[in-house]
Amino acid sequence: MSVAVQGATGKGSRERDQRPGPLDRLKRSYAKHWYAYAMIAPVVLVLGVLVLYPLVEGVWLTLTDANSLNTARTIGVNKIPASYDFVGFHNYADILWGPGSYDRFWSHFVWTIAWTGICVSLHYTLGLGLALLLNKKLRGRAAYRMLLILPWAVPTFVTVFSWRLMLSDGGVVNSALSALHLPQPGWLTDPLAQKAAAILVNTWAGVPFMMISLLGGLQSIPAELYEAAEMDGATRWQQFRHVTLPGLRTVSSTVVLLGVIWTFNQFNVIFLLFGTGAPDAQLLVTWAYRLGFGQIPRDYAQSAAYGVILLSILIVFTAFYRRWLARNEQANG
Amino acid sequence: MRRGIAASALVVALAVSMAACGSSGGSGSDGKADGPVTLTYWDTSNATNEAPNYQELAKKFEAANPNIKVDFVNVPFDQAQNKLQTAMGAKGAPDVFRSEVGWTAAFAKAGFLEPLDGTPAAADTSTFQPSLIQQAKYDGKLYGVPLVTDTLGLLYNKELFAKAGITTAPKTWDELRTDAAAIKDKAGVDGFWLKAADGYYAMPFLFGEGTDTVDAAGKKITVTSPEAVKAVETYKSMFNGPGLAKADVTTDAYAHMMDAFNSGKVAAIIQGPWEITNIYKGSAFADKNNLGIAAVPGGSGGKAGAPTGGHNISVYAGADKAHKAAAEKFAAFMTSAESQAFIAQKNSTLPTRSDAFTADVKADPGIAGFQGILNSAKPRPELPEYSSLFSSLGENLGKALQGTATQDALNTVATDYAKLLPGFAK
Amino acid sequence: MSTTTERPAPAPTTAPAARPAKVRPRGESGPLARTLSHAALALAGLIALFPVAWILFVSLGPDKTDYLHPGQILDKLTLSNYQHVLADTDFFTWFGNAVLVSGITTVFGVMVAATTGYAVSRMKFPGHRPLMWSLLVTQMFPIAVLIVPMYTMLSELGLLDSYTGLILVYSTTTVPYCAWLLKGYFDTIPVEIDEAGRVDGLTPFGTFWRLVLPLARPGLAVAAFYSFLTYWAEVPFASTFMLSSDKYTLAVGLQTFVSEHDAQWNLMAATAVLIAIPSAAFFYLVQRHLVTGLTAGASKS
Repeated sequence: MSVAVQGATGKGSRERDQRPGPLDRLKRSYAKHWYAYAMIAPVVLVLGVLVLYPLVEGVWLTLTDANSLNTARTIGVNKIPASYDFVGFHNYADILWGPGSYDRFWSHFVWTIAWTGICVSLHYTLGLGLALLLNKKLRGRAAYRMLLILPWAVPTFVTVFSWRLMLSDGGVVNSALSALHLPQPGWLTDPLAQKAAAILVNTWAGVPFMMISLLGGLQSIPAELYEAAEMDGATRWQQFRHVTLPGLRTVSSTVVLLGVIWTFNQFNVIFLLFGTGAPDAQLLVTWAYRLGFGQIPRDYAQSAAYGVILLSILIVFTAFYRRWLARNEQANG
Repeated sequence: MRRGIAASALVVALAVSMAACGSSGGSGSDGKADGPVTLTYWDTSNATNEAPNYQELAKKFEAANPNIKVDFVNVPFDQAQNKLQTAMGAKGAPDVFRSEVGWTAAFAKAGFLEPLDGTPAAADTSTFQPSLIQQAKYDGKLYGVPLVTDTLGLLYNKELFAKAGITTAPKTWDELRTDAAAIKDKAGVDGFWLKAADGYYAMPFLFGEGTDTVDAAGKKITVTSPEAVKAVETYKSMFNGPGLAKADVTTDAYAHMMDAFNSGKVAAIIQGPWEITNIYKGSAFADKNNLGIAAVPGGSGGKAGAPTGGHNISVYAGADKAHKAAAEKFAAFMTSAESQAFIAQKNSTLPTRSDAFTADVKADPGIAGFQGILNSAKPRPELPEYSSLFSSLGENLGKALQGTATQDALNTVATDYAKLLPGFAK
Repeated sequence: MSTTTERPAPAPTTAPAARPAKVRPRGESGPLARTLSHAALALAGLIALFPVAWILFVSLGPDKTDYLHPGQILDKLTLSNYQHVLADTDFFTWFGNAVLVSGITTVFGVMVAATTGYAVSRMKFPGHRPLMWSLLVTQMFPIAVLIVPMYTMLSELGLLDSYTGLILVYSTTTVPYCAWLLKGYFDTIPVEIDEAGRVDGLTPFGTFWRLVLPLARPGLAVAAFYSFLTYWAEVPFASTFMLSSDKYTLAVGLQTFVSEHDAQWNLMAATAVLIAIPSAAFFYLVQRHLVTGLTAGASKS
């Protein structure tokens, strides 16, 4: 509240001669801000206590050598205090260029970037293709739609297990491939095939969301635009290029950003498909989890450091993406 | 707003009260010294085959001790160590639990376990196999009572071996490879399946070359030694050749291996006694005598060795006095000669004390077979971190099987070990 | 933070959809194109359906290794797995826990977030941009950022293995997320309504409570559905923080069937089907709203 008042007076003196009715504005903005702060208070409180505080604590842990052997533990009535030490940026240095950093970090980094790029492209193109088909007047369209959103309707923690059964060595996918006399990759065994399997499963699970969002976008493009284009003698492709794609720009930019964030942070698919195996197919996020909770002793400090690095990558990406969008917007008028 | 606040306050209150309900029970509760006590026991045995027999034993304990109730909880073995780590450091820990022999020292070092010297649990330690008692000690104190012991052996399908004209179990890895090729040739199935990318199952190769992951006494990491490299080369050769199952590094590899062996699709595996009851259920072993049990094959010098596994019963240090006393009684009961003989006959696992090897127990072909090879089992070094060494080894052996050079893979292992074992020389 | 895809675009997405525009009126495709479209959709539909159908099929085989030789299942179809799961496991407990935890998280998230969504949508105040920015960034949090500090904090507070702990952890993402989503929805409600309220002498809060909130019910519902579906299926936090099997949610309970040394795939499959049915039914019931939520939050920006 006091902030509101200060802010308002501070501005008021400068704005007084620029805009009409300064006193009025001042009063109203004071009233407005009062309510605004009251209204955002619950969320600010939650963010502060549940997000900011742990985040600070997490960042602090990355500067220590905390692991499961030296953190505080409560053994019945006995409390053993934490005994970890401040080590500065050692964890970051160790992750980024310490011994074996290629195996531990960079290989996962490259794979995470490739995974995100490939998955989101597949999600988007397949989703758009299906959305275009569903946007046609076809008999049974509603039924197709129901069927196609099934991978979204059933939680991934269920469907990933089904894929694990299907992709196992004697599973149905390889049986089918063998019946067709095609090579049968070790989907869950061979490092390259593991990655292909992970992308396959994640694509399967992620397409419906894109499809439905893009379908909504397609349906909101006014029919008049297509009529006008047809009158101008535009071909199907030209209509798609110059009416459909621009019409989808807002939806696309949002769903692609979301897709990137979710895919980059994807946990369930890798964790449930490979369990404790497949060190090569681990994304940065599952790798960080494994450092923190999948091994004994647990390396809390490095796990948290991976988390901080991941978040930084995402924030930088988002900032660039938004800037790029804004520039694009301007360029396209 | 008022209604909104009231409602959210209600939600919070609800959540808190539920948490309160949730937190009662378990270990922290303050049971009176002689009143009825409810013990929480975490069992980590195989839920389908073994656990029901342990549960029966727990019922017997309840009958003999009317003041003690046992809350028997089966926790899957592959998740148990992690759960115990979480629970014992915070909340929700069992009062007493089945601890893999490798975990005991590490948990004791973290302060999680109650020393058992002088308690009823340690009353007849003299009848136990001394190396197992030694293994359950940390810093001179006893932190677990050995419940079962095991080691790895070569389990084979006699019928399939006979089809290939082989009558004796192979003594070295090279012989096994030759036999596997012959079996593939004559019987048409794979001769050998080794669980890939698993450090524990790779230990016989290191022992076969007379080395180990680390030299605990000399404080030295030995996993990059020329002997270890040689061992890993042999290890790799067991996945690639006629009659050798290719490396399955999936999480379900264990189940795949057992399915193949039990149904006669592979003639030999490296495995421990805990699977024997399962194996007898398999279609290939309807006749129990078809199962051959031999020591793990040896390395280039003909030496053979396997890790000593098994489980202890340990008591949580955070339990209150009454629970600890009850838990110690329970540990004594579960490891008594009578109980061990009962479990041995039901589960075909090996007792840890000489007086439990009764005539009936010895008559079990599975136990007899494993008892014969127990002397090839190497006791674990006194190093609390020793059991943490398997995971990096397994993971990097998996990579070595998939193309990473042996020396590189082992160097990565050594880097990981250096972190786990400050003060050890490479 | 997020499970695969069970979240909508939190930001306004499309151009104004004042009237559901009639799409592509003429220029219907020829018979060949139509057949091709049908073929493509049918193929895609089959691919979408198959994994779900497959687990249903596997769930009818009585042995844990049946998935390795599926041909044999046909000869011994049985419902025994279902019987076992329903009668002898904690299935209903897990189900109840999942409903309870995601339900409370949802109610808490929507309630706490509603006023903020409104404030951010209507009022420009100092701190507006940083707040929007934090709401956005919080949604980008990979689980790895918070899981370690959350674990150590809950451990010190004795909240591991408790519903409260899990609900608090879930609130870290659901609250900012609901605020962001609701902001999008409030944006679609015409400002004239607020002005009418002010003319009638209502305070901003009165306007929100009496006029805007009732209109925003569909938006609240969408936020609630998404939040519920997300936490219903959350894996990493629940798997790490919940220890006793009577406090597991379904996502954790399901994993217990397939532990490494005793993987009971048949029971896992039956449980998976039992989870999939209500999840999918709920999803299909509310999906119309979800889709509107995706495309509607739009008319203003």
